[in-house]
Amino acid sequence: MINNFKNIVVSGYAAITPAGVGVEAVLQCLQNDTTTLTDVPVEISSGHAAKWARAEYFKASDYIAPMKARKMDRSSQFATATAGLAIKHAAIDIKSLDAERIGITMGCGFGGIGNSAEMLTGFLTSGMEGAAPLLFPNTVSNAAASNASIEHGLKGPNLTQVQRFCSAESALLNACRFIEEGRADIMLAGGIDELNALMMTGLIAAGQHRRYAQAFGEGCGMLVLESVASARQRGATVLATINTVRSVGLLPPDIKEQGARELLGDLSAVNKITLSGTVTDDDCLMKRLPKCEHINTAAVNGRSLAMGATAMAVLVASLTDSQSGRHIAASPQGPYYAIDFHGATSA
Amino acid sequence: MSKARVVVTGIGIFCGAGKDIAEFTEALSNGRSGIAPLDLFDTSPFPAKIGCQIKAYRPEDYFKPTELKKLSRADQFGLIAAEQALSGSDALKHYSPWEAGVCMGAGAAGMFQSEVWLKELLKGIKASPSLLRGLLPDRTTTEIAERFRICGYQSSITTACSSSATAIGWGADLIRNGQMKCMLVGGSDTLSLLTFAGFNSLKVVDSTPCSPFSLGRQGISLGEGAACLVLEDETTALERGATIYGSIHGYGIAGEAFHMTAPEPTGSTACRVMRAAMRMAEVTQEQIGWVNAHGTGTPLNDVVESNAIKMVFGEQAGKVPLISTKAMTGHCLGAAGAIEALATLIALKAGFIPQTLNFRGKDPECNLDYCHHQKKTSDAELAISNSFAFGGNITSLVVGK
Repeated sequence: MINNFKNIVVSGYAAITPAGVGVEAVLQCLQNDTTTLTDVPVEISSGHAAKWARAEYFKASDYIAPMKARKMDRSSQFATATAGLAIKHAAIDIKSLDAERIGITMGCGFGGIGNSAEMLTGFLTSGMEGAAPLLFPNTVSNAAASNASIEHGLKGPNLTQVQRFCSAESALLNACRFIEEGRADIMLAGGIDELNALMMTGLIAAGQHRRYAQAFGEGCGMLVLESVASARQRGATVLATINTVRSVGLLPPDIKEQGARELLGDLSAVNKITLSGTVTDDDCLMKRLPKCEHINTAAVNGRSLAMGATAMAVLVASLTDSQSGRHIAASPQGPYYAIDFHGATSA
Repeated sequence: MSKARVVVTGIGIFCGAGKDIAEFTEALSNGRSGIAPLDLFDTSPFPAKIGCQIKAYRPEDYFKPTELKKLSRADQFGLIAAEQALSGSDALKHYSPWEAGVCMGAGAAGMFQSEVWLKELLKGIKASPSLLRGLLPDRTTTEIAERFRICGYQSSITTACSSSATAIGWGADLIRNGQMKCMLVGGSDTLSLLTFAGFNSLKVVDSTPCSPFSLGRQGISLGEGAACLVLEDETTALERGATIYGSIHGYGIAGEAFHMTAPEPTGSTACRVMRAAMRMAEVTQEQIGWVNAHGTGTPLNDVVESNAIKMVFGEQAGKVPLISTKAMTGHCLGAAGAIEALATLIALKAGFIPQTLNFRGKDPECNLDYCHHQKKTSDAELAISNSFAFGGNITSLVVGK
């Protein structure tokens, strides 16, 4: 599937990751070749070799009123805080705009899984008395996007995608199409993952510490997408344009080469590439990539299902005027995405 | 370039009210509910012990033992409904693998099996890791894509109870705008302890079968199941001689930005979304014959939805029946939107408006026509199917016959 866009710009971004608050924190780690990954404590790993990266410094009450933050799961706290930073970075004053024309799409990994586990553990150990009603609303995967929309008053399209390691890219495509179809003027498009001890226990039990979760992370990244007209009207600083979003659902072995060609298209003009999800494990894709600058945020923050949003924010932040950036993401058993950004300075 | 009209060329369903299209149509037409005592798990801790479970379900009748090791209950339901829809449609033979995509709405997904893993972990017992395989709600989509070699696109929408309505709207737009030639869309979800305990903890589960829009209603009855639709553009579908089951004209989508569980009380957002759906579908309110409500049977939701209908249809509101099929299917959460869109398609095509079952008395705050006493004949060409969700996620679909 090829989506060509002529009308969509990036006017802001934000990230809260193990590297710190802000996309710059990730860029700094990349420049210094440092990582936030550490060994998973042995009481969680049971002695299996695995690494993880957690944003343990993150305090939701630094961004959200403590009473509200207490009612949110960790994913929602990440998303709500990051959305606030992205809105600020894009210099959006929601009260001066039509909030019904501003929406949010989020890619979500395991969502508020910690919240769900706490609710279930309460029930399984204490019956209905242990099933805390306060926890249940945030067990849904859309809790992060919805809590962010409630906190910031985003009344436009609101959607959450879970599609393995391409969750954030899937959400970004929704956001682009919502703007293209005239459903919204501004869309926040992000990705959120939380990581906790129980999740790591489950990943190790499922053998994923030997496969895709050798080094797992958490965090939230977000882009502010906007129609050209909207950006012009409010005098926004345009950081990049989104030109093309290509996606393939599945690459069966017998037609993988054909599918990879369709996905990647022409790479000759690309200056920088971000690699997300499991693309670095995929020789069929990797062998086709030109020898330009490759950026792999997993080396800093670990891999996670919706890591693509942070990677795309890093790509946009690193593009200078007129540079072309390609974000490539893959998941085991699909889907696959190739998203083109072009550095820009004005709408 | 004019946009394509999106038609439905395949349908499949597997839920507590019917395990295939024929059974489901019979239940819809005759007002037969699938809500009954549950035996999927121990209901003794709960005030409500009923729901719309798929009874007498033997997975081994549908899947090989090796397949079952990696399929959650939700994956199984989704695959069964997809198989029905795709085999009836025959569409995949007419497109390259890259021209077809799949988008499913999901909810609790493999939580039912994952709960067993957690229960064992809490007891200090090492449980089979295969119980965790379907925990991510995208698994059903991927299983469908792999099994039917659908390679063009895969995504899973997870906006709780509006997930699968949005999946249908999104899939239809991908065809309407020329991005895809064929989309398998729908939703699948199952009963689980998490959702059953959760809704009971909120005290919104009726201990008797739910009675949407009735006086004295106490809340929802939960359900499970899957429904799938095959979507194609009309021209191509007609050229290949496909059977047309109906059409998806457009959808509206928004977040209320109000509260995680309570609907915005005036119904203004629901009204806005229905209007947006009609605008995107390029139809007027006068063309809408009836509305398949979200209609959960909770005291607040039903009043808000009734108010929204009054705002949308004005003085004509009383002449546009607002019905709920949830008293027949239960609230199937991530699959609800797809099951209800399919019910709407079937009823439109057959020329009737389904009855809202379990009438307990007239609620003065719900003073529209809910078809509480019997189904009605109808020559309507179009209907709206509403889906509301936790987080204030609202989707309205405009469905045609």
